[in-house]
Formats: sequence, structure tokens, C-alpha cells
Amino acid sequence: MAKMSKKWVALCSAAIATVYAAGLYTTESQASLDLLPRMAEAGRPLAAAPTQGGSGQYKDSQADKATKKASHDHTAEEPTKTVRPAIPTPTKAASGTLQETKVVSQKPSKYNDGIYSGFGSNRRGSIEVNVTIRKDKITDVEISRFGMSYSESDVVGLPGEVLRKQGAKVRNVSGATYSTRAFKEAVQDALSQARNA
Amino acid sequence: MRRTKLYMDTVVDIQVIPGSTASLEEVEAAINRAFAAFQKVEQACSRFNPDSELMQAIQTIRTPVPISAELFEPLKFAWEVAKGTDGAFDPTVGRKLEMHGFSRDYLTGWEMDTRSADASATYRDVVLNARGRTLLLNKPLVIDLGAVAKGFAIDLAARELQSFSGFLINAGGDLYAGGLNETGEPWEIGIQHPGQSDEVVDILRLTNAAICTSGSYERPSEQTPGIHHLIDPRTGVSPKEWLSCSVIAPFAMMADACSTTAYILGADRGIEFLKGMELQGMIITSDLGIERIGGI
Repeated sequence: MAKMSKKWVALCSAAIATVYAAGLYTTESQASLDLLPRMAEAGRPLAAAPTQGGSGQYKDSQADKATKKASHDHTAEEPTKTVRPAIPTPTKAASGTLQETKVVSQKPSKYNDGIYSGFGSNRRGSIEVNVTIRKDKITDVEISRFGMSYSESDVVGLPGEVLRKQGAKVRNVSGATYSTRAFKEAVQDALSQARNA
Repeated sequence: MRRTKLYMDTVVDIQVIPGSTASLEEVEAAINRAFAAFQKVEQACSRFNPDSELMQAIQTIRTPVPISAELFEPLKFAWEVAKGTDGAFDPTVGRKLEMHGFSRDYLTGWEMDTRSADASATYRDVVLNARGRTLLLNKPLVIDLGAVAKGFAIDLAARELQSFSGFLINAGGDLYAGGLNETGEPWEIGIQHPGQSDEVVDILRLTNAAICTSGSYERPSEQTPGIHHLIDPRTGVSPKEWLSCSVIAPFAMMADACSTTAYILGADRGIEFLKGMELQGMIITSDLGIERIGGI
């Protein structure tokens, strides 16, 4: 399996080189960084059951998909980027329809463009975020202050293992991906200020 | 310089030790490019946003769809891992994840629900063609790139920071340590204690290497008891033998895929896998025992 390991390392290296080279053709304007249209939504509960057809912008119809693509096309495309078909070819799937990904959502409210600060806190400390909103979409979330602390106490004993004492705070930790739940409050706080009342 | 932003439902923290020759503007610009890599990968690979390139592409069945390099390359690597592990690692686990509630966009709260997806689909139902850079689905299915996309973004970001004396990219616990830290030594990385998030079970020293941790303790399913976000694609069940598996590799995308694979394989087969791949790793078992691999 050592051979497979070397192969994977080579693939990773090539993957990075390929994307990096492709990226060199894009201009680095601020506009090109607004790639993912994420609707700003002020923490309302989701509908309990999915609604047919959806009330939000993301409907299933082909016309809508084509329209959506046109309006959300990125600026600053690579010259080599191929054009996707505007309307996907229908398939012969059992249900006779295209695969549908329904999005269960509420209709988003209107927000004013700008950068807004929001605050949140949990048992570990406080967070301040700066949320950038452009055309009702969150384009950026930066954490401006991160007042969370790690304790300095001894590690709890583990069977068959030597205890490791921490002399100083370990600032860089590898662990299973912790969710961004703690930041949601801060992001919602920022959004609430952006709302066009 | 240190900055922190949110991408891919993850806190992405970047520290740079500039060294004497870099100007503040250069460092700032490089960090912006590093974050831009996360944005691009998220836009291409997100399973949670209907506008992502991936979610748009999988709407088409039985016709090849041309896609960007940012989407093709992680797909290609993921498929290589799927083939090499005989499907223990399989990105088509996406629909199963959706069904257990791992379906919500972290910023908007919207839920993805791909009803027509065939939950029995496997990686064999997908064909990638390098010539046209196309993706072909032979069945309706949902692709989850969660085990490669973050690592890929980290690697792309790392490339932007290589000219500096040291840097550390920490994306929610998956890290790349470049060069040396502020005291001129390899970076000190703690392995999170599964039960107590404020504690670490060990401290490792890394330079020019990535470490990724797959674990059950942070993201349980809110819908299905006994399920967390790591699901064995072959059985539909979440493994229970280990609390976490941390793997060190030259690239984050590789560490990411290997920690996921080892975790899914579990007990003996996972350790065998890591040894065969000649990687270093650390496993925390469900009874809080530690297994060290590769002389770590």
C-alpha cells in the first residue's frame, strides 16, 4: 500500500498545482470574491415539513434554474472555463423527472448593504464578528474578536496512558470539526442590524 | 498576523509568521488569497447550498457535465480514495447524510432534501472524465465532499503562504503547519480530548505537514440516535469503536481522506490501513485508550 500512498501524495500535489494555475487567470478584484450567493436570513425557524414548490427563490423549474444561473454567474471567469448547458438534459430516471433538490426555506427579508458587527457568547467566552452583506447575501464573515479560553488544568487520566501536564496554554488544537454554532448568535446579531426595517 | 473567518461551517484561523523580509501589505494580501481559496472551494463543493457548482452539477443525470478545476480535482481525488479503499470511503454517502439531518446550510439555515436521490448509489455510479473535465452521474445521488474539500482548501491556502517563515492554518481542527512558529520551532499542536473540549490528550510538533482528525464527538445527528456525521457508506451506520482518529500527512486533503477512511474501517482494519499507507496517526478508542501509529 506504500505505492498507493505515494500515488495519493502525487495526486494531491497535482490537484493543487492545477487549480493554482487555473486561478492565476482570474483577476483578483473584490467582486470576484463574491462567488457564493448566500441569502441573509435572520434566524427564523424552518418550516417543519417541506413545502411543494418552495416559497423561496429556489424552485425546481428549469426556467428558474436557467435564470438563477444567469443572474449569479461569477465575474472574472477563467478563459478556459467551459460553458455549462443552461438547461440540463432530461433523464429517463424512474420517476421520469430530473433529480430535484428541494430547498426548504422561508422567503428572505431585505437587508442593507454594508459590514455589520455582531456579538455572541457561550460558556467559553465571547465572540465578535463582522458580517459583510451585499445585495441580500452574506459575502463574508470575519471573526474580529475571539475571547474564548482554554483551561490550564491537568488532562484527565486515561487508562494505560501517562498523564500529560500542560505547562502553558496550547493554542493550536486538532480535533473533530467543531461546529460554528457558537458563532451563529453573533452572525444573527449582525444580520438583525442590517435589516431594512 | 492572525485572522479568523467562517467557511464551510468551520472556523478558519490563519496565523502568519512573516519573517524579516515581508511587508505588512504582502502578508495581508497573501492571507486574503488564502481565505479566497476557502471561498472558491466552498462555492464549488458545498453540499448545503443549491447554488454551489456541485449541487447544480448533480441535477443532471446520464449526461456528462463540464465542471471547474476547483470541483473536478477534489472529486478526482475522492474517487481515487474510494477505489483504493473499495468503497469504505465513498462520497456518494451524501444522501444518507441528508436523511439523518446533516443537511442544513450553516449561515442561512436552509435545508437540502434531495428526494429523488437513490440512497443505494455508490461511487461506481459516477464517472469522471479528465479529458473534458466532466462529471457523469448514472443514477440520482448526492455527493458529499466533506472529507476532502476542507483539506483541499487548506492545501490551496497553504500554497499562498509558503513564502513566509511560518504559518498555521486551522480549519475547525484540521490543520496545516508550515515552517516554524514565532519562537523558531516546529508548531505545537494539541490533540483534542474527545470528552473535554478544553483539554488535549497529547501535544505534537509539526512542520510542513497537515494533521486532520475525524471524530464522533462533535456532530451527532439531531434526528437519528446513534448516528453522527461519519457514516459507513457500505452499511449506513456510524462506527462506534473509536472516538477519534488523527492522521498526519504531507497534504491536508490526504490527511482528511485518510483519517475518515481509517475511522470508518475502525479497529484492526483502520490501523492496518494507516500502517500500510506509512502514515503517522493517533487513535482515541471508545474507552479512552490511545493507539499510536508510525512512531508518533
